[in-house]
Amino acid sequence: MTPPVTTPTRLLIAALGGEGGGVLAGWITEAAVASGLVVSRTSIPGVAQRTGATTYYIEMIAAVTGKPRPVLALNPAPGQVDILLASELLEATRLAGTGMLSADRTTLIANTARVFTMDEKMAMADGRRDSDAMIKILETSARHAILADFNAIAVTAKAPLSAIMLGALAAAEVLPLSADALRAAVRHEGKSVAANLSGFEAGFAAISSGATSSIAAVAPSPEKKVVAVAEFPARTSVVAAEGVARLTDYQNAAYAGTYLDHLRRFAAMPDVDDALLSELARHLAVRMSVEDVIRVAQLKLRAARLARVTAEAKARPGDIVDITEFMKPGTDEILGLFPPLLARPLMRLATKLGLADAAMPLTVTTTRLSGFLRLKFLAALRGWRPRTHKFHEEQIWLRHWLGLVEATAKRDPEAARELIATAKIVRGYGATYKRGMTSFERIASTLVEPALTAAHPPPDLADQILQARIAAEKDPEGAALTATLSAIALKPSRILQAAQ
Amino acid sequence: MEVSFRKEIANLKLGAGSTFHGEGILAVTKALLQSGVGYVGGYQGAPVSHLLDVLLQSEDILAELGVHLQTCTNEAAAAALLAASINYPVRGAVTWKSIVGTNVAADALSNLASAGVIGGALIVVGEDYGEGASVIQERTHAFALKSSVWLLDPRPDLPTIVRMVEKGFELSEASNTPVIVELRIRACHVYGSFEAKDNVAAKVSTNARLADPAVFDYAKLSHPPVTFNQEIDKVTRRRPAAEQFILDHQLNEFVGPADGDVGIIVQGGLFNVLNDRLTAAGLSDIYGNSAVSTLVLNVTHPLSSRQITEFCAGKKAVLVVEEGAPDFLEQAIGQILRKADLQTKLHGKDCLPMAGEYTPLVMADGLAKFLKLQTVQPTVSSPLEGAAKGGGATSARLDSAANVLTNWLTEHQSRVTKVAGALQTPLPARPPTFCTGCPERPVFSAMKILKQETGAVHVAADIGCHAFGTFAPFSQGNSILGYGMSLASAAAVSSVQQKRPVSIMGDGGFWHNGLLSGVASAAFNKDDGVLIVMNNGYSSATGTQDLPSSRPNDEGRGKGIEIERSLRALGLEWIRRVRTYGVSEVKQTLDAAIRSKEKGLKVIIADGECQLARQRRVRPALAAAVAKGQRIVRQRFWIDPDICTGDRSCIRLSGCPSLTVKPSEDPLRSDPIAHVNNDCVGCGLCGEVAHAAQLCPSFARIDIIQNPGPWDRFKRTISAGLMNLSGAREAAL
Repeated sequence: MTPPVTTPTRLLIAALGGEGGGVLAGWITEAAVASGLVVSRTSIPGVAQRTGATTYYIEMIAAVTGKPRPVLALNPAPGQVDILLASELLEATRLAGTGMLSADRTTLIANTARVFTMDEKMAMADGRRDSDAMIKILETSARHAILADFNAIAVTAKAPLSAIMLGALAAAEVLPLSADALRAAVRHEGKSVAANLSGFEAGFAAISSGATSSIAAVAPSPEKKVVAVAEFPARTSVVAAEGVARLTDYQNAAYAGTYLDHLRRFAAMPDVDDALLSELARHLAVRMSVEDVIRVAQLKLRAARLARVTAEAKARPGDIVDITEFMKPGTDEILGLFPPLLARPLMRLATKLGLADAAMPLTVTTTRLSGFLRLKFLAALRGWRPRTHKFHEEQIWLRHWLGLVEATAKRDPEAARELIATAKIVRGYGATYKRGMTSFERIASTLVEPALTAAHPPPDLADQILQARIAAEKDPEGAALTATLSAIALKPSRILQAAQ
Repeated sequence: MEVSFRKEIANLKLGAGSTFHGEGILAVTKALLQSGVGYVGGYQGAPVSHLLDVLLQSEDILAELGVHLQTCTNEAAAAALLAASINYPVRGAVTWKSIVGTNVAADALSNLASAGVIGGALIVVGEDYGEGASVIQERTHAFALKSSVWLLDPRPDLPTIVRMVEKGFELSEASNTPVIVELRIRACHVYGSFEAKDNVAAKVSTNARLADPAVFDYAKLSHPPVTFNQEIDKVTRRRPAAEQFILDHQLNEFVGPADGDVGIIVQGGLFNVLNDRLTAAGLSDIYGNSAVSTLVLNVTHPLSSRQITEFCAGKKAVLVVEEGAPDFLEQAIGQILRKADLQTKLHGKDCLPMAGEYTPLVMADGLAKFLKLQTVQPTVSSPLEGAAKGGGATSARLDSAANVLTNWLTEHQSRVTKVAGALQTPLPARPPTFCTGCPERPVFSAMKILKQETGAVHVAADIGCHAFGTFAPFSQGNSILGYGMSLASAAAVSSVQQKRPVSIMGDGGFWHNGLLSGVASAAFNKDDGVLIVMNNGYSSATGTQDLPSSRPNDEGRGKGIEIERSLRALGLEWIRRVRTYGVSEVKQTLDAAIRSKEKGLKVIIADGECQLARQRRVRPALAAAVAKGQRIVRQRFWIDPDICTGDRSCIRLSGCPSLTVKPSEDPLRSDPIAHVNNDCVGCGLCGEVAHAAQLCPSFARIDIIQNPGPWDRFKRTISAGLMNLSGAREAAL
């Protein structure tokens, strides 16, 4: 006779509010009750709102006749959790960070898909946490880590994530409950039974087939047919080909030729390697194809968009899909279409009238004739573009940037690399674009230009530019950039140079 | 629209011989019905909302048993409801979230406690303390002490909770005193089972009304001079009666050996976490067979001096396990021991922390310290073989238990350190936020855009979903002073600020307190401020309960009492109504309110139905309509991945869960771009913000005409044909 079990099975569920963690915990509880176990489940759902991190905790143990009611704990004890079921990667890692997982004890079943936190989403640069690092932590924290992209399985199975997770839990065979007991709980609960059961089976199959080690990666974008530009070294040749394709589409072959001319000039310089040149090729192509009103209209008219939108919006065959664009060109963007000789006085007038920051809100339905024709007219201005004020201004900026890069590359290729990357802060539209432009000018005039004229340029110029670029993307108000630039100005190395 | 509780209601109908399976708060509800309760009321709030939510949908049970149900507009009204038990032998129960609700109820509670009750009066409070709590961290215990009402803190085990509710009524009647049953968050939500009993119809109820009102009895009034006698009666008669009842009915429980050198006195609500750690330390087991003599206080006020004295007599030391500050129990026990001249060493907050939740880690640390003290102190005798007196654990066993706990804590610390090292920087927090499509988010978008344009103003925040406006990306709000208190809290601020302060209040807060404490006071004092009332139609943060101003409909209890009319009745003139999703309009209206030359309170009623409630209603209806082949236009937003440059200004002005990021598909760009996922409900905020803030042209609204009619198809065909003639095909290239 086997001795009765004296410790309960302890299961912790990490979830985001509103995504079905409660339903999942409910199924497990129901299955345990139906299987004759004594079960306790608690949660801290708090407010009814969505997306906050939350947990559910379940303990279950076989009832023993003649014994009093088991005293089950309401709080998970770190390191003594048998199973952690996590619906999101960062939340699983968060619990690992609180010491919840034990390498001797815990079976971890975690979704590797991400739901980004506000901090990650609102960062101006790339604020996303490194998924690979988190996966590595999880793999070493648990006794057995079952990691898979359950979102991908859910999409294929057209079932809720909670059902997939339940199937995965059943397949892991760590509960004192049979898979059939869990299936029965889904039926008993009675809501969307068919979808939930098919989700359960999908999750079950994915885990029991052992497909868990292969974490579904982001599908690579379809290979485009770009012909490498053979005259450049390996990396640059690929990027330059992308650049040429984009700029030909943006303007014409001659314009793409100008792009190649710029690259050739740099390629001929002694200290410019493939890494530096390919980065220049990348940023230059982006900056030369600035999204002016004409470009936006051109992109919005691509017929491929409708098919894509229809698929993304899960429209059914036979549904009619309309796309209504929200645009709000500002005074400078509209006047930017005029030739410089006309645009400049008009801009002065607009400033005088207090209309410099004005903008015209437009909604344009591109899937209907009238909206289509309006954008078609704008896109047709492509040939006119080189005569516009906006194009003219962009050329001035490009010359300025390329000149600085060239001069810097001669003295300090590392700094040139950073200066090239700094071009990315000039992006976006409206106020965002102006802010990026201002930040770039501040970095150029405070750090780069003095270094180029100084007898002894600072040895850490590359690092200074890097720090400034990161700061420029810290906050939209530019406070971090101001702080960083003044901190650099006060650095001893600078004072020393001044003394010299 | 309120949530449906079909299954829970079936649970409330169970009779003797059936087993109830469900959450703690529903077990309490069932226990009320088993106790012959005559009336129930309260104010919603996590974690006790379900008590009222479920009863609201249980008309047949209530009608059969004759139970009156009152949806109180605040906790003061709920406490006052219990006044029926002062004069009449009718049992009543009310519920609210504590400490905040108890604060609001304090005045009525004091008066109720002074007069005393003849019908059992029970207050079920959700002790919102520790992880998952959403309010200030204070103890309900203080109110029990100051008002001389009794406080039950049952073991978080359904049979015990149910028994305490049933006994609570009897205790209340035996001592003519209201009784508070305190349940922590996890206890309210704990799922378990108990053997049900038949529901009992109240002797006095809506089905059995009394013919005559109570005879005039001045002694039942909380009014001098009888209040002086009531104060004496509380301590000379009611309290001894309560103590006697507690002993007679064994409301407190003894666990483990009767004697031994050491003992533990624990609040009932903390017993499970204590037993779990004692078990881990090898001093107890899953059945609560503790090797340490333990007194489980299911009643934490009043304490019986006799019981405490008897428990401590013969023990060298006791540990009081009492969560939160101040250490009321420890002080009381210390006084009892001193007066009884017992030399038992008293431990509590010297081993365990004065403030904060007693999690397994905290409990283990405190226990280890306590157990160590018992083994290293020279005063503790270590007889031969370490055999302790009676059934208690030996000194050696206590020492080894302490080591087990300490080792566990050390291992835990090393795991935490290891992960922290691997992470390098701490993970970002993930607080709750506005739901996808929430009507309150656009108001904060408008406020943020206005702030960028004209500078900051003082913002008085309030309790409710809109308090999420204090989180990123909005980070707005200078103070929170309680539910419906924002306007009152800005009254003096407006006199020391050049710019008018803006107060935010929900319709829930407006009816709870804001109308009188805020608006009437502002009108009376001619305060110069701005008030935004978020009129989403429900008390959403507590679970979308109906409010006086909720739309009257078949399922709900809304009465359609207009907020605007109540404001006009108070003589306010500057009142504007805006649709919350109209960001530009909200921004302009708020700007006008802040700059207006007019003096006095300016109110903006921001209308937009709670999206959680709306989706609950609309989604099944739309799905059914589509299935039936009706023409339905579904809307959602989309971001053009070719046009988004990845600066994410949009996210900083929205924070919508469905507005997220994804890798750029552009081989020439490295930063991720913004992306609208399929959770989008098409609220329109993205488009409004894109226009209000001049963001970028990446946003597009997608209209999906499901089951299009012949006219739709005809228009589409014509349009597509003309577009092709105009060169749509070339544009595809």
